[in-house]
Amino acid sequence: MTAVDAFTPLRPDTDPYRLGHGHEAAGLHAHDASGHGEGGPASKRVIVGYGFWIFLLSDIILFSAFFAAYAVLWTATDGGPTGRDLFDPTSVAVETACLLLSSFTCGMSAVATGARSQLWTQVFLVATGLLGAAFLAFEAKDFAGMVAQGAAPQRSAFLSSFFAVVGCHGIHVTTGLLWLGTMMAQVWVKGFRPNILRRLLCFNLFWHVLDIIWIALFTIVYLIGMGR
Amino acid sequence: MTDLSEGRDEYEGRDEHDIAPGVTQAAEYNIREGIQTYAIGLVLAVILTGASFYVVSTPLIWGPAIPTALIVLAIAQMGVHLVFFLHITTDPDNTNNTLALAFGVLIVVLILGGTLWIMGNLNDRTMLPGEMMQMQR
Amino acid sequence: MLGKLTWDAIPWDQPIPLGAGAGVIILFLAIIAWVVLSGNLPYLWREWITSVDHKRIGVMYTLLGLVMLFRGFIDALMMRSQQALAFQGAGYLPPEHYNQVFSAHGTIMIFFAAMPLIIGLMNFVVPLQLGVRDVAFPTLNSTSFWLTATGALLVNISLVVGEFARTGWLAYPPLSELQYSPGVGVDYWLWSLQISGVGTLLTGVNFVTTILKMRAPGMSYLRMSMFCWTALATSLLIVAAFPILTATLAMLTLDRYLGFHFFTNEAGGNMMMFVNLIWAWGHPEVYILVLPCFGIYSEVISTFSGKPLFGYRSMVLATMFICIVSFMTWLHHFFTMGAGPNVNAVFGITTSIIAVGTGVKIYNWLFTMYGGRVRYDTPMLWSVGFLFTFVIGGMTGVLLGVPPADFQLHNSLFLVAHFHNVIIAGVVFAVMAGIEYWFPKAFGFRLHEGWGKAVFWLSLLGFYAVFIPLYGAGLLGMTRRLQHYDLALWRPWVLAASIGIVFLVAAAIAQVIQLYVSFRRREELRDVLGDPWNGRSLEWATTSPPPVFNFAVLPDVHGEEPYWEMKRHAIERQEMAAEPQYRPIEMPRNSPTGFITAFFSTITGFALIWHIWWLVGVGLVAAYAVFVWFAWRDIEEYVIPAEEVARLERERRRPRAEWLAQHPGEYPA
Repeated sequence: MTAVDAFTPLRPDTDPYRLGHGHEAAGLHAHDASGHGEGGPASKRVIVGYGFWIFLLSDIILFSAFFAAYAVLWTATDGGPTGRDLFDPTSVAVETACLLLSSFTCGMSAVATGARSQLWTQVFLVATGLLGAAFLAFEAKDFAGMVAQGAAPQRSAFLSSFFAVVGCHGIHVTTGLLWLGTMMAQVWVKGFRPNILRRLLCFNLFWHVLDIIWIALFTIVYLIGMGR
Repeated sequence: MTDLSEGRDEYEGRDEHDIAPGVTQAAEYNIREGIQTYAIGLVLAVILTGASFYVVSTPLIWGPAIPTALIVLAIAQMGVHLVFFLHITTDPDNTNNTLALAFGVLIVVLILGGTLWIMGNLNDRTMLPGEMMQMQR
Repeated sequence: MLGKLTWDAIPWDQPIPLGAGAGVIILFLAIIAWVVLSGNLPYLWREWITSVDHKRIGVMYTLLGLVMLFRGFIDALMMRSQQALAFQGAGYLPPEHYNQVFSAHGTIMIFFAAMPLIIGLMNFVVPLQLGVRDVAFPTLNSTSFWLTATGALLVNISLVVGEFARTGWLAYPPLSELQYSPGVGVDYWLWSLQISGVGTLLTGVNFVTTILKMRAPGMSYLRMSMFCWTALATSLLIVAAFPILTATLAMLTLDRYLGFHFFTNEAGGNMMMFVNLIWAWGHPEVYILVLPCFGIYSEVISTFSGKPLFGYRSMVLATMFICIVSFMTWLHHFFTMGAGPNVNAVFGITTSIIAVGTGVKIYNWLFTMYGGRVRYDTPMLWSVGFLFTFVIGGMTGVLLGVPPADFQLHNSLFLVAHFHNVIIAGVVFAVMAGIEYWFPKAFGFRLHEGWGKAVFWLSLLGFYAVFIPLYGAGLLGMTRRLQHYDLALWRPWVLAASIGIVFLVAAAIAQVIQLYVSFRRREELRDVLGDPWNGRSLEWATTSPPPVFNFAVLPDVHGEEPYWEMKRHAIERQEMAAEPQYRPIEMPRNSPTGFITAFFSTITGFALIWHIWWLVGVGLVAAYAVFVWFAWRDIEEYVIPAEEVARLERERRRPRAEWLAQHPGEYPA
């Protein structure tokens, strides 16, 4: 009757109404850890990484709602400027390059963390942060230029949805930079403790997913938008 | 103070077939292989990004095909990022991560597809008050 | 300095909200004063407010849900009485107040009554049924709760400071745009939902991770209890649907605060897109609410029939089927918006298809009862009441899912009766059954049976007396949300519903009496064994109430009904298993992070509603500071020594061993 009762399998169940239940003999597969949690609770690293992964999926769905709004409204320019009038391919290319490279340096920092190298981890995190900041600077310049041309989000539904979807990504990058600074300080002061390693893993996931969202952004919003 | 959480886990080791997303043994413990993976990813991503920008600028491609080409390239590049940067694989130890991703993608497709279909159909059949006013002018 | 906030924000000229608000504030202050004066504040802070124990958080969620259920019920009373009086007259509630009442009723009932009740039960039960010690992220769990409480607080502040939305519970634009709702009502709605929505999303993340990554050894997917399966489905739906709500609310916020044009009349905005997006969240939300309830019914019906759940695997399949298909039916909430026949037809068909999953479940419950030794204790009564009532609601739902019929019935009281039928029978009955069922596990004593049965019969009677007449009025063409009406044809139905609600008032009173009586007689109702209902799943394997670590040693799971197997084995052998070697257990330390986060969210939310921008800045900076401070903590866990674990575990074993010796070959309860 206690929780750890290690008992021999009982006779097969005789309940005639036990339909829809498995017939595996009790106790046979009890401890085959098959990666689905049968082997008891997963380690903290797996739990934290997986939880953050689920959170990122919800974030992707958040973006999909903004993308849906953009897709519905991108023709609603209300006689105002269109994407073809506004978007600057060079600027978008530079932003894309910054973010892609930052994703790479972020990956390098993960390798350095794996090798427990404080110096290289910090170097690559700084590089990631600088590239992220450069991305934000270019994006801010783009936004300011558009507003100066009278293409502010208040002008038309198209511009509202444009600024919302791209701005939402920008806010994510900004949050990422704040987080990055915090992580660098933690690595510096506390070293590679298990909990810091878990957080670095989450930060890596976050940064790579932001880059994936940027792929959707520069394709759907900028490149397809320029064609119009 | 040391962190008590790791190494004291009663069931640690039982989930050797379970892995957190974004983790591979290679990236974690073998520097050369780790760098290699990310470098291959970077090269592929650069090629695909370049292709996207080229598709828009070149006159060689038939105009109406451009959006389709762009979307195909974007999906390919997302795949590259998932495999080389996020280390999502089809290995059994990654099942949960991949299934979660598949669920997320399904929802994204349903929301985007559903919204575009519903709103497109609606726009075809009805007119917004704004448009109506413009027509009256 | 204070944005739009002035003394005029307080409705001095409206006695009803002012009186109600004053009453609530006085009650609140009285409770705080009592807590402080009796010296319980440190206890409250240490053991509850900063607690990261899933059981405590579950209890707090449930309490919040019950209080808000009461608040929403008062709104319902006001609406019924207003419509009873406002026949060819004005009634006693002016239109602007009446509109706030029905908007607040819907918002509160869905977001701050139903959701906390569901999440509360999930919090309490899921880790126990999985045989683990807590959820995946305990501190995050506490933060989720306090963010939900923040949302509830903001809605209730709107009672006395400013106003609430007059737009209905989903605040359709363009009515909810700044041009037509210039007051702060819609802003209260936006920010309270946004903040509590973040809390709910984090709960979803937490529970998906808990259920998929933290289970007792040996518990494969197809050995999880039905409630855990439904909690998993609901958590997946939360993770997938709540971001859409967040995004949609953010768009409306941008429209109202920064002059964007997502949903406006002008500049190309498209208000129908709001309807589309909000229901892309709203329809899954329906299943977020009802799926865990199906789980509760599965547990209760199986336990009180003394049988394993019939068709367990088909039940799992049906649950996951509903989880996916619920994202394919959202258009049936706006068939009349103007989409073409092919779109309407497709969504009409998916609506009928999703009912199949629910139908499977109904038959499974019936067959679970078939051939069983059914005990009609209070939780079982609620379940049987549900089976009858929910089928009616389901049928009217399928009826509404047929587009041509929907064109006649949309926006009528028939629709109102339908969704109350499914939500009250589906969710409220389930929550009542669940509270009755798990109360002894949470507090160590049962609730009084007689009064529980009185609550059930009064509720059942009250439900039919209110909503069957509303079906009638709806069929006669009475639309929803009418502040007054002139047609004599509707009058008898409206009066009948208003009389019917008296039964629900009686049920509410009986419920309070039940709690009081049970507390007074707690010694005779004490649950010594920890297994008051002859249960089948793991939560009954531990004591009532469980120790903070739930299980001294994580149970080994060998089948679908782990505790039933253990129990049967112990009874057959007439002895309990040998004592294992106890080891020290580490548990997460309590943390005020959640409470502090919620404190700053409340301030930020309030400042955003009233445009007090400097305070918004303060709130955001404080939020970042809390984040850094929390990240900097060094000791996350504390250790319970093995001797303490052994002591508590022996306390658990003693009454069970005694019982076993006194009742050879029998089952408890």
